[in-house]
Amino acid sequence: MRSKRTFRSFWLILGAIFLLCLPGFIWRPHQEAHVRANYRSMFAPVFLVPGSSATQNRFNALVKELNKESGTKHSLLRVEVMTDGTLKYSGTVRQDDMRPYIVVGFENRHDGTENIENQAKWFGIAFRALQKTYGFNHFSAMGHSNGGLVLTLFMEDELAATHVHADRLLTIASPFNLEEQNPTVNTPLFNRLRANRKHLPKQLVVYSIAGSKTYTGDGIVPFDSVNRGKYIFQKQVKSFTQMTVTGANANHANLPENQQIVSLIQQYLL
Amino acid sequence: MAQISPLGKYLIGLEIRWHRSRQINAIYRSLKLVFPVILLGSLADFFDSAWLQKTGYYYQTLDVGHWSWPLKVLRAYFRLVSAGTLGFAAILLAFAVSFYLVASVTPHTTDRLIAGMTAVISLKFFNVDRSSVLALKPVQWLSTNLGIQGVCIGILMGLLVGNGYRWWLQRESTVEENLPRTLTITSGWLLLMAALGLLWISTQTVGLNVAFASIVRWPFKLPHFIMGLLGFSTLSSLLQWMGALGPLTAGSGQTIETAQNLAAVLTHSGWQLPHPVTLHTIVTVYTTMGGTGMALALLLAIFLSKPDALQRRVGWLSALPTLGNLNTPLLVGLPVIFSPILAVPFLLAPLTCTLISWACVRLQLVPAVAYPLANGTPGPLIAYLGTGGSWSALILAIINLGISTAIYYPFVKWFQLARRGE
Repeated sequence: MRSKRTFRSFWLILGAIFLLCLPGFIWRPHQEAHVRANYRSMFAPVFLVPGSSATQNRFNALVKELNKESGTKHSLLRVEVMTDGTLKYSGTVRQDDMRPYIVVGFENRHDGTENIENQAKWFGIAFRALQKTYGFNHFSAMGHSNGGLVLTLFMEDELAATHVHADRLLTIASPFNLEEQNPTVNTPLFNRLRANRKHLPKQLVVYSIAGSKTYTGDGIVPFDSVNRGKYIFQKQVKSFTQMTVTGANANHANLPENQQIVSLIQQYLL
Repeated sequence: MAQISPLGKYLIGLEIRWHRSRQINAIYRSLKLVFPVILLGSLADFFDSAWLQKTGYYYQTLDVGHWSWPLKVLRAYFRLVSAGTLGFAAILLAFAVSFYLVASVTPHTTDRLIAGMTAVISLKFFNVDRSSVLALKPVQWLSTNLGIQGVCIGILMGLLVGNGYRWWLQRESTVEENLPRTLTITSGWLLLMAALGLLWISTQTVGLNVAFASIVRWPFKLPHFIMGLLGFSTLSSLLQWMGALGPLTAGSGQTIETAQNLAAVLTHSGWQLPHPVTLHTIVTVYTTMGGTGMALALLLAIFLSKPDALQRRVGWLSALPTLGNLNTPLLVGLPVIFSPILAVPFLLAPLTCTLISWACVRLQLVPAVAYPLANGTPGPLIAYLGTGGSWSALILAIINLGISTAIYYPFVKWFQLARRGE
C-alpha cells in the first residue's frame, strides 16, 4: 500500500514535468520568429564617431571621464577605417564587458559633403565587421559634429539591411545644414537627409545637443544648422529632444569635454 | 535495509554525529524555521520570472502578454513579496541561528531574543554605506545581498554572535532574569561588533555581503575547456551547499560567445556555432535542471525512495519552484545545505552530466545551444528549446536527468536512514 503511494508521487511529478513541457513543444515552431523579433543581445556597444579632422583617439579623454563618473569601467576599442575599406584596430573589448565604447574614425577625415557621405559608407563597413565579430543586435551611438551626420546617414541608408536595432542616438553640435550661415538656404546634404528620413528606425530615441557660445552658434556651427535636426527626426523616430548647452567650454571643439555634456551622455545615452 | 555499503554506513554515522553537534543543530533548526518564508518567496519569484517577465517560459509559450492580466501591478506585487521574503533571508538566519544557540543554555526568552537581535544588528554593521559613515553624514544601511546569496554570511554571523553570547551567559548564569546582566552582555557585543564593523568599512570599499557575492561570482572567469567547466560546476555546487544560494549568473549567463553563437544561427542557414563548448552551452543547459546540483533529480529520487511524511511534504511544496529551476526551497527544506550525505551527489551529479554533455557536444552527437533560454523552462526542455528543437538534445537531457536521479537515489536513502536514526 505504502510503496504504491510512493510511486504514485513519482509518476505524478513525472506527469507534471511532461505537462509543463507541453506548451514548449507546441510553441517550438514559432520560436525562431519570436527570437528574431524579441531577442536583444546583452552585448550592446556604444559607438562614438568624431567630427571632421579628429582621429579615433578623439574620445580617449571623454571615455576616461565617463568611466570615472559611472564607476563601472567600460573598455574602449578604436577602429580606423582606411580609404580602401580596410580596418585598423587598437584597444580591446574586455570579455565580460557588455557595453564597450567603440570609436570609429576615418583615414580620410576631411570636411565636405562628399567626404561625409564616404565616411558614412566607411562607417557601414566597420559596423558590419564589428557586428560579425561580436554578434550584437542593438546599439547606441554618439556623434560629435559631422560624426552625427555620418551616423544619421548610416541609419537612413544602411541600418535596415543589417537587421540591427538602434536604441539611442545622441548628436553633439551636428550641423544638419552644414556651416551654412543663411537660414533660408538648404544644402544638398540637408535635402538628402530630409528626403530619406522615413528610413530612420521607428524605435530610435534621439537627443541633439547644441553648444551656444555666441547667440547664433558655438563659434563654428550656426545654431540654425543644429536646429534643423527637427526636420529630419521629428515625427520619424520614437522621440526627439533638443538641448542647448552654454557656459564654459561651450565652443564647438570643446563640447565633448564639457561637464554638462558628459552628464547628459551619462544620463541619456548610457 | 541490512545491505548498506561501508560508505553508506560511514556517511550515515557522520550525518548523525554532525546533526547532533550543537552548532549544526542550531543551523538545521533555523533552516526549518525560515523554510515557509523561503518557499513563499521562491513561489513569488517563480511566478514573476516565468509567467510575468517577457523572458519567462510561460509568458512566451502561453502568450501571457495577450491575457488581460494587469501585468505591471502583478510584477510589482510579486517582486515586493520576493524582496520581503528571500530578500531578508540572511537577516532571518542570523537571528534564528543565534537564537537557537542561546536557547540551549538559558530558559529566559528575553536572552534568546536579544541574542537574535544582536546578531541581526551585527550583520547590519558590516553592511552599511561606507561613505555615509566615514563622512559623518546620516548613516545609510545597505540592503543588497542580504538575500539568499547571503545566507552563508547570515549563518556565520549567527554562529559568531550566538556562541559569544552563550559563552558570556554561561559565565554569569543566574536562575532569575537579570536586567543588568542582559544589558552588559548585549551592549558588550554590540559595541564590539560596531567596532569591527567600523574597522571593516574603513579598510574595505564594499559591504561584507557584497564582497562575499563577488567572491561567489569569481568562478565565471574560468576558461571554457573541460577542466574549467568541471571546476565551475564543482565550485558552484560547493558554494550552494554552503548556503550561497540563488542564481550565480547575472543576466542568464550571456557572454560575447553566446551572442556570437546566436548571431551565427540567425544569419546563416544550418547550425554551425563558433563556440560550441562554453559554460552556457554545457553547464547551464545540461546540469542545472531544477537549479544548481540537478535539484530536479534530487526531487525525483526523493519520490522514488519511500520518503517519510515530512520529506514528502517538503518535496511536494518545493516541486513547483524546482520545476522552474529554483532550488532554494528544496535546499533549505530537506536541508541539503551543510548535509554531508547529500553533498556527495550534489557535487557528483552535475559533474557527471557535465562530462557526458561535453563529450556529446564535442563529438557532435548533439548540436550546441544557441537560442536564448527562457526563465523557468522545465529542466529537460531547456536543451530542446535552446537548440531550436533538436530531439537528440532532448534525449541527452533526459539521460542526464535519469543518471542524476540514479546517483542521488542511494544517498537519499541513506539520508532518510540517518534521519530515522537520530
